[in-house]
Amino acid sequence: MSSNVQSKSLWRHAFEQLCKDKLALTSLIIVAVYAVVAILVACGVLASDWEKSVGPSYNPPSLEHPFGLDIFGMSVWAKTLKGTEVAMSVGLVTSLISITIGVTLGALAGYFGGKIDEGIVWFYTTFTSIPYIMLVVAIAFILGKGLMTVYLALGLTSWVSLCRLIRGEVMRHKDREYVQAAGAIGGGDMRKLFIHILPNVLHIVIINFSLSFQTAIKSEVILSYLGLGVQGRPSWGIMIDDAKLELARGVWWQLAAATLAMLIVVLAFNILGDALRDALDPKLKGK
Amino acid sequence: MNIYAYIFRRLLYVIPVILGVCAIIFLIFNVVAPDPALIILGKHATAEQVVEIRQQLGLNKPMLSQYFDIVRSAFTFDFGRSWSTKQEISEMIKAGAVPSATLSFPAFFISTILGISISLLVAFYRGSMFDKVTVVGCVTLMSVSSLAYILFGQWFFAYKLGWFEISGYDYGFPYFIPYILLPAIIWVMLSVGPDVRFYRTIMLDEIYQDYIRTARAKGLSERVILFKHVLKNAMIPIITYVVIQIPFLILGALLLESFFSIPGLGSITLNAINSSDFPVIRAMTVLSAVAYIIFSVITDVLYTLVDPRVRLS
Amino acid sequence: MAEKILEVKDLVVEFRTDRGRVTAVNGVNFDVHKGRTIGIVGESGSGKSVSALSIMRLIPNPPGEITGGKILYRGEDLLNKPIEAMRTIRGNKIAMIFQEPMTSLNPVFTVGNQIEEVLKLHQPELSKAQRLEKSIEQLKLVGIPSPDKRIHEYPHQLSGGMRQRVMIAMSLACEPDILIADEPTTALDVTIQAQILELMKKLQTELGMGIIMITHDLGVVAETCDDVAVMYCGQIVERADVKTLFSSPKHPYTKGLMESIPSFDSTLGKKRDRLPTIEGMVPSLFDLPSGCNFQDRCKYVDDKCRGSQGDPQLEEAASGHSVRCFHPLNA
Repeated sequence: MSSNVQSKSLWRHAFEQLCKDKLALTSLIIVAVYAVVAILVACGVLASDWEKSVGPSYNPPSLEHPFGLDIFGMSVWAKTLKGTEVAMSVGLVTSLISITIGVTLGALAGYFGGKIDEGIVWFYTTFTSIPYIMLVVAIAFILGKGLMTVYLALGLTSWVSLCRLIRGEVMRHKDREYVQAAGAIGGGDMRKLFIHILPNVLHIVIINFSLSFQTAIKSEVILSYLGLGVQGRPSWGIMIDDAKLELARGVWWQLAAATLAMLIVVLAFNILGDALRDALDPKLKGK
Repeated sequence: MNIYAYIFRRLLYVIPVILGVCAIIFLIFNVVAPDPALIILGKHATAEQVVEIRQQLGLNKPMLSQYFDIVRSAFTFDFGRSWSTKQEISEMIKAGAVPSATLSFPAFFISTILGISISLLVAFYRGSMFDKVTVVGCVTLMSVSSLAYILFGQWFFAYKLGWFEISGYDYGFPYFIPYILLPAIIWVMLSVGPDVRFYRTIMLDEIYQDYIRTARAKGLSERVILFKHVLKNAMIPIITYVVIQIPFLILGALLLESFFSIPGLGSITLNAINSSDFPVIRAMTVLSAVAYIIFSVITDVLYTLVDPRVRLS
Repeated sequence: MAEKILEVKDLVVEFRTDRGRVTAVNGVNFDVHKGRTIGIVGESGSGKSVSALSIMRLIPNPPGEITGGKILYRGEDLLNKPIEAMRTIRGNKIAMIFQEPMTSLNPVFTVGNQIEEVLKLHQPELSKAQRLEKSIEQLKLVGIPSPDKRIHEYPHQLSGGMRQRVMIAMSLACEPDILIADEPTTALDVTIQAQILELMKKLQTELGMGIIMITHDLGVVAETCDDVAVMYCGQIVERADVKTLFSSPKHPYTKGLMESIPSFDSTLGKKRDRLPTIEGMVPSLFDLPSGCNFQDRCKYVDDKCRGSQGDPQLEEAASGHSVRCFHPLNA
């Protein structure tokens, strides 16, 4: 019980601190705006006409189209909005996949120790030995191209650092009094692990979430460059990749729009991640 | 446990990890991936052609023997021939290693030195405007897509302003320098952000320790405290962080090499990915995995050597 | 009385926090004499450690700042000295040891290296060999067995008690006038505690330095101090020599502290079933009451204490015995 009370006040304290930090609050609002845009695009409210040609090819930014037009005369602004949907969904799904794997394996290894721990540590040691990009490429080879590939390739390859952190933290927690007390009143292993320990390591997951979210957004660009990204719809990665042919003609606006859109949300996630770490991780408090 | 026993045990652990890495590579390329015979021949291949090419590629061997071929290659570096260029892969690696190294090692060296220097400055002026601006600057640098740096740098500084070579490479000492300048600068831009942030956290962790208060109470100046007491403690995590990055230098900078047409291992890898050249992809994967494993052993051993607390406990 | 070497006068230290400014030390006065030990006693947050760190000018700024008072060392105000001049005093004329011997030594340097560092800084005329010799001598002085071997060891190879001895050896290397000991034995086992206190007393007789003993433990005070100042909420509430204070405490807080230590002697006449404690909690420094800071916990409280006639002042109640109370107790 006492652990619950404590964690609640930790969360409240963290939230209060976050609201006091103007920069972090702004970042939170930016992330929320991006999320709303992504949802509206997904529902077809925004940028549903992105495929429509609205003017001459490579028309530079104008009053009517402040972000200019691409090779097919499509509005770069509409494409950027449409790309928001891809970016946010990649960030979200990838993070969820990696958190599920990382937390499960980390918690099992940390809690049970022994052979299970050795097995899981061996598995992730092996896994990290293979370069990230090679794993991503391999998964893309197996699954073919498309959005689903992006989700899985990035999600399945980004869980190790979280797994390590959770393993260490669960190890620290499992011998604490509150867990022993839960055992004394008849809580089974699973109950102890999931009801009692995990809520107390949740802050690590939250901090990690904001980091893995933005890493995924950045990685989508690389996948697009390798030709393994989303197909048949614009994403920031594809827009940036297109720029390699456009820049020589002086067409900079597609690169600028996608880079800027990405910069703002990734920066917001970075600042938010730092602020969350300061607020939630007592070890780093006061630094 | 004494240090030799520790090193021995750590080396022993390399074996299951290499076996595991090979198992993952085997699973991906030999079991789950689409049939390479079809990739090479296309969908309309006749049955005889498929049998013939499978024979050639060694795909009709028993599964277990295919697995051990991969394990063997991790020790002998004999990776067979490329499917697309028919070259001996070990020769390709030898040829590619030089251009990769001429880019990655200087760039890595400069970015590490720069990162440590900036973070020392930032730690010295912690809490000041300079500190805050640097931290925000680092985060901003990190938030821009790496591809955007490359595209913009190549277009603006090389093409528009003509300050650098747009692409290409020349072998031999001073000749390669003009070609690696811009990619190296971009490399430094890409890595200085995360580096400074990491080093800064490490140093601030030390600055708030009790022994720093003791050092002040002794009458030492802030400069001596930072460069002697803080730095020597911070060196432990810093060395670990630096050494574990070295194996990643082997694949070089995939994107940088391919954009600047530097014929290094990164370019070879990307070409192999584009042409589904499995043996080359597999070889590069094994090579970098082995390098990573070796360097993680080195890191662990170094750690015990530089940290007196680990050494004798 | 012995020569007065340090005078702390009306010291005020403030901290800036998220919740506003807070006065951690509010007008503290005490003197340090050659060869004598003054104890500063109080609970955590009473300002005793902040006062000690102020003498060394080691208050982390920001958030802390010394905003008033004087610290006169042999007549010179340390607070006016440039930081370079201050550094020649730290570790040389005034030395300090801390509560956590486990973390107060740098883990990556040998014990010898850390002792020699002080000598190198403050006695540059010594040669390398002389420094080594003197470091070994220092270790011998604080009773570390086989000092010529220990000097090449790292802090983690020593026990907590040994590390505190090393800290003492290091702080006394330049034979300072004053040693500030901030809870030097709190983190140690009881038997080790006694040994360390014994050692400090012995070294004081040999070297004649004045000691400022910061502690929350009245047992330590009784054992080591000549004079005592009791602090509460950033102020000294009672000051006397140790015998007077223990035999006739005048402030209800001091008396409460004394009653809350378990004791085998029967000066109180009867066996106690329960250890009396001081009721209530230390008020928040953000929100001190007007009048006496101890009012909410005191059984003698009346309107005067609640601020009807201003705040109580530290006044001499008997010769050499001052108390900050409207209703000082009579022994």
